[in-house]
Amino acid sequence: MAVVANRRCVVGLCRRLCGITAMRWFTRFQHTDRQRVETHFGFEPVSEAEKKEKVQQVFDNVALKYDIMNDFMTLGIHRLWKDSLLRLMKPYPGTRLLDVAGGTGDIAFLFLDYIYSQREIQMRRELKSWQNLSWLEISKSYQETGQDLLGGSHAVICDINQKMMAFGEKKARQLGYTKGLSWVVGNAEELPFFDDNFDIYTVGFGIRNMTNIKQALQEAYRVLKPGGRFLCLEFSQVNNPLISRIYDLYSFQVIPVLGEVIVGDWKSYQYLVESIRLFPAQEEFKAMIEDAGFMKVNYHNLASGIAAIHSGFKL
Amino acid sequence: MGAVVLLRRAGWRLLQRCEPVLKHQLTPTQRTFCKSAVVWRVLDENKQQPPSSPKQDSETHQPGEQSDSEPRQHSHSSYTGQGGYESEGYESEEQLQQRILTASLEFVREYGWTPEAIAEGAKSLDLSAAATGMFENDGSDLVFHFVSQCNTQLNKLLEEEHKLVQLGQAEKKKTDQFLRDAIEARLKMLIPYIDKWPQAMSIMLFPQNIPAALNLLTSMVDDMWHYAGDQSTDINWYTRRAMLAGIYNTTELVMVQDSSSDYKDTWHFLENRIDNAMKMGHAAKQVKSTGDALVQGLMGATITLKNMTGLNQRR
Repeated sequence: MAVVANRRCVVGLCRRLCGITAMRWFTRFQHTDRQRVETHFGFEPVSEAEKKEKVQQVFDNVALKYDIMNDFMTLGIHRLWKDSLLRLMKPYPGTRLLDVAGGTGDIAFLFLDYIYSQREIQMRRELKSWQNLSWLEISKSYQETGQDLLGGSHAVICDINQKMMAFGEKKARQLGYTKGLSWVVGNAEELPFFDDNFDIYTVGFGIRNMTNIKQALQEAYRVLKPGGRFLCLEFSQVNNPLISRIYDLYSFQVIPVLGEVIVGDWKSYQYLVESIRLFPAQEEFKAMIEDAGFMKVNYHNLASGIAAIHSGFKL
Repeated sequence: MGAVVLLRRAGWRLLQRCEPVLKHQLTPTQRTFCKSAVVWRVLDENKQQPPSSPKQDSETHQPGEQSDSEPRQHSHSSYTGQGGYESEGYESEEQLQQRILTASLEFVREYGWTPEAIAEGAKSLDLSAAATGMFENDGSDLVFHFVSQCNTQLNKLLEEEHKLVQLGQAEKKKTDQFLRDAIEARLKMLIPYIDKWPQAMSIMLFPQNIPAALNLLTSMVDDMWHYAGDQSTDINWYTRRAMLAGIYNTTELVMVQDSSSDYKDTWHFLENRIDNAMKMGHAAKQVKSTGDALVQGLMGATITLKNMTGLNQRR
């Protein structure tokens, strides 16, 4: 209490002695000082603004070959990880999904596939329950369900990087996903959506690159409906010492080389590997999610902790 | 001017020192507090409270402020049981889960003991269907919730009956009559869900669910024997419980297939089984007493024999 009073006193003094300009200087000084030490780009300490720029650059560089490179780096295992994310998510027809940092749309496409299959099962069950129908009724029911195959489900993909998103949109067109998708350019730390808007928030291999993770988590909490679920698929810390050795060797010796050969960009993949090492471990990240207000937070390790899925509920 | 600079510097140092305090990392207690405050918002839809962000909640709902939470406490007492934390007027995670499951029971007739029913239940509480992810995928949580609910209901029923007997307002029933009535009352609770009950029985037989199912069964049987006045501490304790559990389960199986009006066949079957068990008990007693007599006779015979042959002579 005394500290707060003192602070108020000092600010008051400043205002009285030096006028408003001093106040402005005072606040600005405070601000820049905080920025200077706060964040990392790979192992290199940088300011927040710089990090944002550099991350933008990395993804501009790798956008076109992002998917191919993912397949090479993880030997295709990242697909299995995304599948297990969906298996955990179990969306129902009518779910509104926000996929943050989902540039190339992988998770959103899987989501739509899941919904379609779920819907088909539902329809088959309904058809079973109506036995003797006239042809007219059957054709009518087909028309109805054909219009509403998604059952109101919708996936919004939000990414800060336009190039990645442009690539994702192109991919969606090629794969024939037309309905139930929207593409929004936006920053995960200030999402351009209303409160209580989504059932599920996912972020797959993206939260690591955000400048202010805490704020991103708070935004996730804000846009989710009560009862909504937060799901995060992210590289994490390996807990088995043997695997950890091999994994380190692979990621520091092989991945940047692959990056150089396939994309022609060593540095971006060097950053990728380093940023994985700096991301908080499972338990620590779990505590961060809990701090943002989520309940029933838990995580599942994939491939002994190379990646992990964190899950939390807004209740 | 020099003095001013000095003052400024001192003030700045003070500010830096108190900054971590101002940034306020929430302590665990505060965290739970803020969470439950958020939960509250979900609960009070009827009251149409203006939605507030979690940040505001954490600031306004300090533990000291009773005035704000008092009217809420009042309406809330209907949801929660006793217990220090709950009586403060906040709902814990578990209680919310119980509430979702209770709401889901209404949809069991339509969707069975499935995650779909839970999703509908969550929707009926104005929660997102994604909240279903909190529960086991096989619907076992819903089944166990129902079973334990029935058990508590039965317990209450038996307790009231017991009270009446103690007050002398009702006559004490014979054990077989008492057990028959208890099992009948318990089985009658299944009638609303009888169409879907086979599914629930199969869910309880999944290997991963057997321990919990057995636990619920034994606690139910325990309650019945307790109020029936069983005070055995020998092997009978086990045989009686095993017998009653067996009767309950077989009668349940009969009930599921029973098509007679008002389940007459089932109650008939139940009566016969209880009679059998009682006869068995009598028979066992008789066998035991004959055995005892036989052993005594034999002992006497050997002693006589010994005496006659002179082996038993003391010298």
